[in-house]
This record gives sequence, C-alpha cells and structure tokens, in this order.
Amino acid sequence: MKRYLDLIPISAKRHRRQSLMTRLCIFLAVFLVTAIFGMADMELRSQRQQAIMDGGNWHIAFRDITEEQAARIAAWPEVKTSSWYGVVNYDCDEGYTLSGIKTAICGADPAWMGMFPAVQVEEGSFDAEGSGVLLTENARARLDVQVDDFIQLYTPDGRVLDLQVTGFVTNTAMLDHEDAFGLVMNTQTFRSYFSGDTAQDADSVYYVQFSPLCRILQVVESIKTELHLTDAQVFPYGKLLGLMGQSDDPLMLRLYLTAAVLAVLVATAGILMIASSLNSNIAQRISFFGLLRCLGATRKQVARFVRLEALNWCKTAIPLGLAAGTALVWVLCSLLVKLSPTYFAGMPAFGISGIGLTCGVVIGLVTVLLAARAPAKRAAKVSPLCAVSGNATPVSPVRRAANTRLFRVDTALGVRHATASKKNFFLMVSSFAFSIILFLAFNMAIDFMHQSITPLRPYSADLSIISADQTCSIPPELGQHLAEDPVVKRVYGRMFAYGIPATIDGQEGTVDLISYEINQFGWASGSLLEGSIDGALNGNGLLALYGNGTTRHTGSTVTADFGTGTQTLTVSGVLSDCPFQSEPGVEIFICSEETFRTLTGQDGYTILDLQLNADATDADVEAIRTQAGSGTTFSDDRRSNSEAIGAYYSFALFVYGFLSVIALIAVFNIVNSISMSVSARVRQYGAMRAIGMSSHQLMRMVAAEAATYSLFGILVGCAVGLLANWFLFRITVTANWGIPWYIPWAALGLIVLLVAFSAALAVRAPSQRIRRMSIVETIHAE
Amino acid sequence: MEVLRVENLCKVYGKGETRVEALKNVSFSMEKGEFAAVVGESGSGKSTLLHCIGGLEQPSSGHVYLDGRDLFALRENQRTIFRRQNIGFIFQSFQLVEELTVEQNIVFPLLLDGRKPDEARVEELLWILGLMERRHHLPSQLSGGQQQRVAIGRALIAKPMLVLADEPTGNLDSKNSQDVVELLHRASRHYRQTVLMITHNVHLTDAVDRVLQVSDGELRDWGGMQE
Repeated sequence: MKRYLDLIPISAKRHRRQSLMTRLCIFLAVFLVTAIFGMADMELRSQRQQAIMDGGNWHIAFRDITEEQAARIAAWPEVKTSSWYGVVNYDCDEGYTLSGIKTAICGADPAWMGMFPAVQVEEGSFDAEGSGVLLTENARARLDVQVDDFIQLYTPDGRVLDLQVTGFVTNTAMLDHEDAFGLVMNTQTFRSYFSGDTAQDADSVYYVQFSPLCRILQVVESIKTELHLTDAQVFPYGKLLGLMGQSDDPLMLRLYLTAAVLAVLVATAGILMIASSLNSNIAQRISFFGLLRCLGATRKQVARFVRLEALNWCKTAIPLGLAAGTALVWVLCSLLVKLSPTYFAGMPAFGISGIGLTCGVVIGLVTVLLAARAPAKRAAKVSPLCAVSGNATPVSPVRRAANTRLFRVDTALGVRHATASKKNFFLMVSSFAFSIILFLAFNMAIDFMHQSITPLRPYSADLSIISADQTCSIPPELGQHLAEDPVVKRVYGRMFAYGIPATIDGQEGTVDLISYEINQFGWASGSLLEGSIDGALNGNGLLALYGNGTTRHTGSTVTADFGTGTQTLTVSGVLSDCPFQSEPGVEIFICSEETFRTLTGQDGYTILDLQLNADATDADVEAIRTQAGSGTTFSDDRRSNSEAIGAYYSFALFVYGFLSVIALIAVFNIVNSISMSVSARVRQYGAMRAIGMSSHQLMRMVAAEAATYSLFGILVGCAVGLLANWFLFRITVTANWGIPWYIPWAALGLIVLLVAFSAALAVRAPSQRIRRMSIVETIHAE
Repeated sequence: MEVLRVENLCKVYGKGETRVEALKNVSFSMEKGEFAAVVGESGSGKSTLLHCIGGLEQPSSGHVYLDGRDLFALRENQRTIFRRQNIGFIFQSFQLVEELTVEQNIVFPLLLDGRKPDEARVEELLWILGLMERRHHLPSQLSGGQQQRVAIGRALIAKPMLVLADEPTGNLDSKNSQDVVELLHRASRHYRQTVLMITHNVHLTDAVDRVLQVSDGELRDWGGMQE
C-alpha cells in the first residue's frame, strides 16, 4: 500500500458483500438505461427502415413546380439528392396494359432508384439516357421476356408503344395485390409518352432527400419563401420526418413529448436506484470513516476516498451493465430478423446503439458521482470520536421512537427501520415506486400499438382467386384441387349473394348472404357476441353482424328469395365484426356452404382464399395462378402480409421488451435494496438476537420493513404511475383515435403483485443469512 | 443454591496452523445471588467464555447448565427463548435499540417474549437506575453512563437467573463505572440474581464476591478477592 487511496480495493475485499450489492445496483441501473435507450434506438432504426421500404427515402415532395424551380432546389446546399417522379395508372384502373395485364408506369430520374430501396434492379440496368424501360419481376416469367426484348404497351387512348426492356425490378406489394405489372422509365421518356395523359402525377412531383443533419422544415420554409411556393405544393413524408425527429406534425410532437417523458422516467429510475444504494452503503460504514478521521485523514481526503470508491464500483459495474444491455438489444434485433427476415434484412443483428451506450455511461457515471457527493460530505463530517466511542453505528439519527402500542415490537421495529431516515425512506420508496411508474407509463405503448398497427388476422390470405364478375363462378373442384398442393396450407372459399331484397324481423331490407366453411366459422367464433356458431355451421341458421345501424339478436328472422323460392331463416348467433363491408343499408348474414347452396342453387365460389406454407416460392404461386385460369382476378398479398407482420413484430417485440426489462429490474432492485438495508443493520440484529429475539421474530421485523417500503412504494407508484399512464394515453391514444382513457387493471395488478412478490422474496434470503451467522459474529459485524 | 454450572468447556477456533484454543476445559459453578468478575488480558478467552455461557456461541465441547438445564442440548429456537427468559446481557457498547425509548428498551425482552410489562416493576427499575426523568428519551439523547444504565435495566427486567456483563464499564468514566458496578451489586443482593461480569478494571473487583481469572484459555478461581 503506497498511498491511503490504495485502501479502497482492500476495503472492497473486506466488505465484499456490500461492495457486490452496490455494484449490482449500479449494474442494474446502467443495464436498465442501456437496454431501454438501446431498444428505443433500434426500434427507431427499424421503424425508419420500414418507412423507407414502404414509402421511400425522401423527405419532401414538391408538386407543380417548374424545371427551373427544381434545378434551384437541387442546388440547395442541404439537399442531398432529388428526382422527378411521375406515374400513370397508379390504381391500375385506367386501361394501360401489357399483354392484357394491368400495368402501372412510372418515370423517374436515376436518383429515384436510390430513394426507393424497395424497388431494386434485379437484372440489367436503368436506362438513364435512352428510352429503355425496367419491368417488374412478375412480368418476366408471365410474358416470357428477357433483357433487350421489346414489349408493347397499350394505352387507353389506343396507342401501342414499343418499349425495349433494359432490366427487371422487384415487385411491390400494391402491384402483387392488383396482380399488375410495373414499368419504370426515365423522366424524359416518360414525359414524351405521357405528358398529356390525365393522371395527376404524370409530370409534376419532385422528390427531395435532405441531409439528415440539417433542420429540414426550416430549409423547406426558406425554399418556399424564395421560390414562392404555396403549402399545397409541398408534401412532407411525415412518418419518416417524424422518425428523424424533424416533424412538426401535432401527432409526432405528442409522440416526442411521450418519448421525452419516458426517457426522463427511465433516467430518474436509474438515478434513484444508484443514489439509494450508495446512500445505504456509505451510511453503514460511518464508523469506518470516523476511524479514518481519527487516524488523521482530513475531511477532503475522506470525501475523495468515498468518491474514488464509488468510481471503483463503476469500473466493473458500468461496463457489465453496458454489455448486458447491448446483449439484450442484440437478442431482440436477432429475434426481429428471425421473425421477419425479408423485412428486417438490413437490420444489424449485432448493432451498437451509440445512444444506449452513451446514456448508460453518462447516467451511471454522473449519478454515481453526484450520489456519492452527499455520502462523501456526510462521511467527511463524521467525528473522529465516533470511531473510539463504539457508538457510531446508527444508520441515521433516530428522532422518533417505534410505536409498540399499535404493532408487536418486532413489527414496530421493522416499520421504524424503514421510516427512521427520511432520506433513506424517500429513496427506497421512490426506487420501488419507479418500477411501477415505469411499468404503467410504458404500458400505454401497448394501447398505442394496438391502435396504430393492425396485426395480421388469422384469416388473412396470402393469395386470393376472385371471380372476375363477382359471381359464384369459381368451380369448387378448384378449391379441392388446390388443397392437395403441398405448398398450400389452407384453402377456404366464400360464396356471395349480393343485394337480395328481404324481410328482416318483419321489416323490408336488403341483405348480402355470404357462405363460410369450417375454418372461417372457427375464426368467427372469436367475435361471437351472442348465440352460437353451431346453429349456422351444422344447421340452417344465420349469423348476423352487430352494428351498421341495426341490432339483430338470436331468433331474428330473415325471409327472402335467394333463388330457389322464398324461405325464412333464423339468426342463431351475432358477431361483433367480420372481414367484409357491405353497401350502406345492406345487412350481412353468414351461413354454411350447404345452406347457401340450398338457398341459391349456386355451387361455385366467388372468392377462394389460400394460405401458403412458409417455403412456398414464386414458381409455386405462378403455378397456382395458372390453375386459377384467366376468368379470375388473382391477388398476391404475401408481400403486404410480410410488411404487416414485420411492423407488428417490430413494435410488439420492443414494447414487450421494455416491459419485461422493467419488470426484471423491479424484482432485482427490490431484492437487492432489502438485502442492503438488512446488511446495514446486521450488528443491531445481532444484539437483538443476543437478548432473545427469535429467528421468526427477526424475519417478521425484516418483513415489516420490506412491507413498509412496498406499501408506500405501491401507493406512490400506483398514484403517479396512473397519472403518467393517463397523461401519455391522452396525448397519444385519445388525441389520435378518440379512445377514452381507462384504468389498466391488468397491468396494475401484475406490477403490484410483482412488487409484493419481490418484497416477499427479498425477505427470505437476508433473514436466513442472519440466522446462519453466529450471534457473536453478527454483533461484531461492521 | 447452584444456578450456573460449567463443565469442561472447550472452544477451538480454526484448523491446522491457525488453530487457537480459546477455552481449555473450563469448569466452575455459581450460586444464586453470587456476583463474580472474570478478569484476564486481551485475547485470554474471557469474552469467549461469556458468549458460551450465554448460549451465543457453540462450544467445541463441554456443557453449560443453567438451573440444571443443559443450554446446548436445546434447539436454537428453544435456546433463544430460554435465553430471553433466564439470561440478561450487558454489552460494553450498550447495544440499545436506537428506535426505542428508554422505557421501551428496558421492556424489550418482555415484549419479545409476548409478555405484558409489569408497570410497577418498570417504575421501580427506572427509579433505581435514576432514569425516571428520561424514560421517554431515545438512546441518542442519553450520555454513555445513562445508556449503560438502560442496558442494565433491560438485562434485569425479565428477572433472569443470570446476568452476563461483557466489560460493562469499558466505555465509561470512573464515576459511571462505579455506578454500574453498584447497580450490578444491588441486583445480586436485592433481586438475588447471579451476576458474571468481565472487566479489565481490577478496582471494580472490590465489590464482587469472587474473582475468576482467564489466562490462555484456562480458568483460575481466586475466590473472594483478587490480591
């Protein structure tokens, strides 16, 4: 030992348990902050990636501007890249076709390809100078074309355009759904062919991507002012700007506020955990500091000792916290990539979150140093007499006696131990309460998720074969045949009879009759409000739909001629919703296929839905399309389903990840805090055992202390947590969807139970530890 | 009447090279109302002896009989209850419960035992100890001498057969030390309680009936007065 500060590691070895518990607390706080901020960072990245995949990597679109204005915008120093973009037949309903297949055509500059990573050149290249076109992949096989081949595009005004294919690009979800082709050509060629066409986007949109470091909205304002543009000419990509923290949209501003509140809560929880731990650790070694003073250490030296000791704890606790937090983020990112590999292909499985690491280090280090200030001052003030008087053990000066009239003496002492020091009580209760506050505050994100992201429904189809004229023209044999295909997981068809005049409960009306098979009846049972599915599934009953201006109940009757003569049917069940919408004033009723056939005399399906196995390839889909024949409309929703799954997984994984981390930290923090508190009083407990306190009474005393912290923690946590939940719910969910706030009983019950369970768990180990220690050892413990 | 009997008490700490024999075949007995002092140098084993007699520490071998009952034949929980009913402890550093008042500290062993304190007895003790005016004070509001008097009150409240005092005057000045010894003497005479006190201070042995010396773990009975 060369200097007095070398005593720090020696002291840490001597007080191994206390040192370990303090390190554990710092580790937990850093882990919490790193994991939460790291996850939030990764979630933002994944959302940004989704936004770019869905809508492109542009920030502002200018409409109806001149070439000169576009050139001036492109020369703006903050503009990173820009491109003209025009499209005709976007909705695939204007009559542009390739070999009879609906075709959407877009014209853009080469830079546009970089702005839309979802549209990737698979083969060949974009013809920036000439009149060549890129064709979507789905057309390659179906039209049997290769690079350099010519294709003929038919326009609604009767023109036939001969276009040379220079390459192929990926399909989009929208084109797959519409079963349409897409063509991409350069702006010059596009305008030469389509500038006089009716489509509003034909030649007038200019996409701009700004440097992410500039304040985009301010730059846009200056562009508007200089070029005399109106608000109607400027379209921001709100989602992407919002995710970049560059939006002034009220929704995004409210989300920023929510994020800020949550960030402050997480940071405060971390600070309180560390402060509480350090306060407890230093307090129990006051006599040791008194000894240092007695031996000649100045107050400044003692304060420096405490600060350096705190930093010594950080040396291992902070890196471990950062590593654990980062590891958790990696696990979640890997899960995300595994769950939706195509959608999150660009997501780094082992990404490092600078924000998470920085916040972890800063909050860990700064809090430790700040939290060490108070104990350092306190330690420095310890009188040298304390070391020699043998009377320097009280954790804090006691001002009020325990109430032995209300409680048993052991219980009263436990309660008093908890409340003796206001500061310790405040820190412990706050630390407990913050677990609840964080949980309830973050719980709001589940409601936000359910409202903002629609998960993929179990009945969502990958492929749909739709009767071209919306009649029951698809032969049932096709469904049976497709069901035998090994790549097909499930086939379920529906027959529709639209706009049938009927008498419903004695009143005239119009009905749409839809048939379900066993799969669909199974899914519908989840939304059954009254009655049973069975009456419709196995009998000739009907299922009615709740709402839509009418209220049908079990027993309601429908009398109509569906094609085989007038018949009366009875409603056997009522559903809250179904995947279909009817025309205004038309009521939907659902029956079995057998009932439908009996009522209408029709045998074929209007729609056949298919769910595919995960290993289904494009070639398999092509084969199914061929089987469907030309008299049907084919819709491929695999890509949009994958996007829906990706969006839901991304959000759900992180929201539940946040909640799990908070719950885990709550358990560890409570167990560790109680253990530290008990350690601080070991000597006192020893004396009590010497004068006759039994193990059972000792346990009851520790339990009373833990219960006091928990009770007040739960009360404060629930009150403030519900307030935080209400506030965040109001500015996110209520403000956007008008849904009124409700008390989240399930979350509340769960976290309260968890805190209570953790406190109960926390009592056992330290009580048993004291019981195992010899009384003499306990009395002499420091 | 014999209250305490110690038979062949041995206590060994450590193993091999670190093995220390703190007590070597210590045997002695004490009569009801007897006041004895244990003297010896630091590390001689006198505190270990007291801890073993009080049932705080398990001896390596030997027996401690209190009122005929073998202390270490009892199970841990039974021994705890037996201790709080029959043995009073006084420590050098007082070991009062900081969160309890003077009166609450004194009745603490009774409360642990689930007994209702006898008001008259409490009043009497407070009066004898000179703490009537301080009964509602917290330990932090008392002087060292007063705190030790509270500790004596706590040791006496349950009317234990045996009072064990581990250097009860170690933290006190000579006046307070004298007071403490007088109180212990009074306990042995007035309440007929057996008192065994460890002390470094040979002047305090004037008041005791018997002096026992512990040296290198061995006990020597000096009888009436240490010369």
